Amino acid sequence: MTAVIHDIGYRRYDGPRLGRFPAALALARHSLRGAYGLGRPAKSKILPFLIAAIMMLPAVVSIAVMALLKQEAISYPAYMVTMEAVIAIFLATQSPYMVAPDLRFRVLPLYLSRPVGIVDYVGAKLAALATALFVLLAVPLTILFIGELLIDLPGPPHTHDYLAALVGGVVLSVLLASIGLALASFTPRRGLGVASVIAFYLFTSAVSAVFVGVLQSVGKSEAAAWAWLANPFFLVDAVQVWLFGTNPIGDGYPPGPWALVIVLVVTALAVLGLLARYRKAATA
Amino acid sequence: MNTVVADITYRAMLGRKRIWLLVLLPVALIAIAVLLRLIAGVNEHTAVTLMQTFAIGMMLPLLGLIAGTGVIAPEIEDGTIIHLLAKPIARPVIALTKFVVAASLLAVFAAVPTFIAAYILVRGESGVAWGFALGSLFGAVAYAAVFLLLGVVTRHAVAIGVIYALIWEGLVGGYVPGARKFSIQQWAQSLADQVSSSPFFTTDVSLSFAIPAMIIVTLGALWLAGQRLRTLSLTGDD
Repeated sequence: MTAVIHDIGYRRYDGPRLGRFPAALALARHSLRGAYGLGRPAKSKILPFLIAAIMMLPAVVSIAVMALLKQEAISYPAYMVTMEAVIAIFLATQSPYMVAPDLRFRVLPLYLSRPVGIVDYVGAKLAALATALFVLLAVPLTILFIGELLIDLPGPPHTHDYLAALVGGVVLSVLLASIGLALASFTPRRGLGVASVIAFYLFTSAVSAVFVGVLQSVGKSEAAAWAWLANPFFLVDAVQVWLFGTNPIGDGYPPGPWALVIVLVVTALAVLGLLARYRKAATA
Repeated sequence: MNTVVADITYRAMLGRKRIWLLVLLPVALIAIAVLLRLIAGVNEHTAVTLMQTFAIGMMLPLLGLIAGTGVIAPEIEDGTIIHLLAKPIARPVIALTKFVVAASLLAVFAAVPTFIAAYILVRGESGVAWGFALGSLFGAVAYAAVFLLLGVVTRHAVAIGVIYALIWEGLVGGYVPGARKFSIQQWAQSLADQVSSSPFFTTDVSLSFAIPAMIIVTLGALWLAGQRLRTLSLTGDD
């Protein structure tokens, strides 16, 4: 008896193949939606939208204050430092979502069997998380700015501050996204990923607070200026101050471009670590 | 208490990546204490600042979260808890065992380093070291029970625990004095304040409130966790 191969009508795909870049873009778009719980169960939408709503509170209060008292309540560059804990919680809860399921269910080879390479995959995830963070910060800033324009305070609008805060937001988003993903990608467990990212934030902010306090109390204010930079939010604030001359939130930072240098070095290290992690995960 | 369950849980906690978080924070605390000793010398004010912001304010809730949820949540997440629950062991006993493991880990990784760090900074002065060690020990027990309960109740235990520790104890507790009454961190500080006589350290929750609250919360959380385990359903999300 001879074996017969039946033709059951499978057809090859012969439409256009978009290639590497659109594939990475689709992945980034999917991840960005996922960061806000879109395309996921209703339960996953609660936390990101709750956080986004909390992020809006200072803007709303500030607009009310501007409308009633005709004075500025919260300055644009101070927004991210004021809301640092909220932004950190968003980072900690959403960055494991970006990377953990793919690692846990070992689907990375499926991605990599397509035109998407490791660099594209990591780049797409980074871009998605950074965009999610930026949206989280930029939306309340923009609403605050629109509010200020509509209320028409005495004096010129704070356009310079607003734009400075947006650039600061971009720097902060890229920095936090790369650190958050690098930390979260080391474990396929979501809970542990959340814990390690929040541990990073709490650790740096506590170290910064303790050293600033102690160094100032012993009169070493020059060293205290450096201790501020241990906290990523104050680090980015220092970048804003150096680039745009905005009012510093801490009691003064070290002069010169050091904050920006630190941001660039830390981001580069985090991205390199992330790439190394995925090179290993892809072969496993 | 079931020693086999305890043994398995210890191995799961200490044998994986989780151990790094448990070790790194206390090591960092002691390193910072040494560094501060070199910068500022023997200084009670520094010691109290470090203990309040770092040891009790940051390390204790974080380690509590990692240990408290870590003893049970991963097993629920990947479904292996079913093998444990299928054994003829009373569910409340399982909860109690997991709690004892978490609390003992916290005693080693939170309370002992807290004592060492404070001792490096001030020696035995004003009972700061003993006070904070005791405070963090009792705080650890309460955190372990609460976060264990959280780990049984929800898949998002760590996220909710982080929100409690950061938003409620940190932000709200910073502005609203009433919120401090319902914060494990503050109860731990009240205990520490009772033992230490340092003038740099005051707390605003009275001991007569903190101790009963701590006991009620610990026992209540443990009992609830045991009850929840009896009717645990393994449903996936995400």
